[in-house]
Amino acid sequence: MTSTMHPGAEGQALTSPPRTALRRPAELERTVDVSGLVDAEGGLLDRALFTDELIYRQEQRRIFATHWLFLAHTDQFHKPGDFFTTYMGEDPVIVTMDKNRKIRAYLNSCRHRGVRVCRAEVGATRSFTCTYHGWAYDLEGKLISIPNKEGYPDTFQSGDWGLVEVPNVDSYHGLIFGNWDPGASSLRDSLGGMTWYLDAMLDHDPEGTIVVGGVEKWVLEGNWKLAAEQAASDWYHVNMSHGSALTVLAGGKPKAEVVHRTGRQYVDPRGHGHGFPVHPRNRFDAQTVHEWMDYAALRLRLGDARVEGPLTTGHGTVFPNFSYLPVNGSIRVAHPKGPDRMEVWAWCIVDKSMPEHVREAQRLYNLRTFGPSGIFEQDDGENWSEVQTISHGFITNSMHLNYQMGLGSEREDGRHPGITSELYSDAAARSFYAHWRDLMNTPAWHERKTADE
Amino acid sequence: MNAKPPMSEGIRVAAVADIAEGEGIVIARSITGTDDDVALLRDDDGSVWALDNTCPHAEASLAEGWIEGGQVECPLHSSKFCLKTGAVDGLPATQDARPHRVEVRDGQVFLYPGERP
Repeated sequence: MTSTMHPGAEGQALTSPPRTALRRPAELERTVDVSGLVDAEGGLLDRALFTDELIYRQEQRRIFATHWLFLAHTDQFHKPGDFFTTYMGEDPVIVTMDKNRKIRAYLNSCRHRGVRVCRAEVGATRSFTCTYHGWAYDLEGKLISIPNKEGYPDTFQSGDWGLVEVPNVDSYHGLIFGNWDPGASSLRDSLGGMTWYLDAMLDHDPEGTIVVGGVEKWVLEGNWKLAAEQAASDWYHVNMSHGSALTVLAGGKPKAEVVHRTGRQYVDPRGHGHGFPVHPRNRFDAQTVHEWMDYAALRLRLGDARVEGPLTTGHGTVFPNFSYLPVNGSIRVAHPKGPDRMEVWAWCIVDKSMPEHVREAQRLYNLRTFGPSGIFEQDDGENWSEVQTISHGFITNSMHLNYQMGLGSEREDGRHPGITSELYSDAAARSFYAHWRDLMNTPAWHERKTADE
Repeated sequence: MNAKPPMSEGIRVAAVADIAEGEGIVIARSITGTDDDVALLRDDDGSVWALDNTCPHAEASLAEGWIEGGQVECPLHSSKFCLKTGAVDGLPATQDARPHRVEVRDGQVFLYPGERP
């Protein structure tokens, strides 16, 4: 096969100079067949997928280097040079607006010795300069300054050494995603049927959403998938894990209606999921937000099924690691930091059309419930860390985990598009891990060229 | 160095309102008659200054720099230069930037290429 015709060849150009004798030996990137670790049909998981270092490294290559990943919100960029630094898996990236007001993303690593060329978390700049030797890049990623340039050979072409750019950056209703795969399908295709559920949070009116406050970040022990699968699928934990918080919010007396919620869980074949109670009078929890919302207008725009379902209470995950909670405007990423650790980054988004006092009410409700000090968030973090802490014992690690709730319950319910399951079900988690397994067993775009040679 | 003798009137190069506080603009050498383009730099107190535009260290444009408190910081390698004298405050640049006198009359900026402020 002619390598230049293959996506892999294009991919190679992302990070390699034109001429090189470098060839990374395959032993450094050993691949594990994970089909024996996920029994999605039987609802069982091998615990190694939360703890194993080889599997973790394979996730970096075959999931985080191939999939659309959430980067930032469009409201974070208003002028050329506005930037936000984040991660795609463990790869550091700069998201910025170039001089033509296009949102672009670059690997945050100098092409010379690899230092980050942007150390700040957020800000505005005209260029990105490495603090080590001073190589500097413009907003278009071009290498524009090389101190002592005359020391390089005549074959050195500064045009070959621009920042490595993320080839695909696109947005959906204010959410910016990036994808390293030069041959990736579109963001819209990747989101698939999930957009109907996402729109219940992002598309209340034509003005869309904005970010209030900064990005909250916290580190906790726990594999990144624990956070992702829970938001995709797990309503089951709510009454137990959050029992005290729900009792407090109900005025100090347990309410039967909280425990006996009924609802649905969207199960997307691409690994996304969204669980939500269904009730004719679903409402936003923060009183000021509830009073401001025009539910009749929302019914006209989004339809009864969405207003009575995914509009408010509930949570979802866009595969692999972007999650959201419509009721409090939380959008977040669980960044992987080794098999045993994650770093959660959370934004609070509100409708742009909200007046200031409503935005503030939602921001405070968000902080008090699902910020790092929120009364719900702490319950979840405690459980994830508890799971992870003991997972390396041999006998413990050999014990299979149960994901059988709602087995066989997946169906078309006639009201919510796509396949749904019960509110209390592991269906979206089973689908999440089935998709994870398929990606982990598929050679990625950057491996194909090597395989052809 | 300077191609033209001192001029009593100066060259009208911009209106003060054309330059935001803390920002700079470039005046082409075809207008100034100097060896290099000239950076018109407006400090955060509103005052206007002029230096040769090219950073004496490398190829950066000082008009793109960060201007505050009487100094412009090179946008690429962070050496700072005095807006009035062009004096450099530290590495990696080692040479001063060349200053030019400016006068503001009726909201218009007049440049005196080659004259020291």
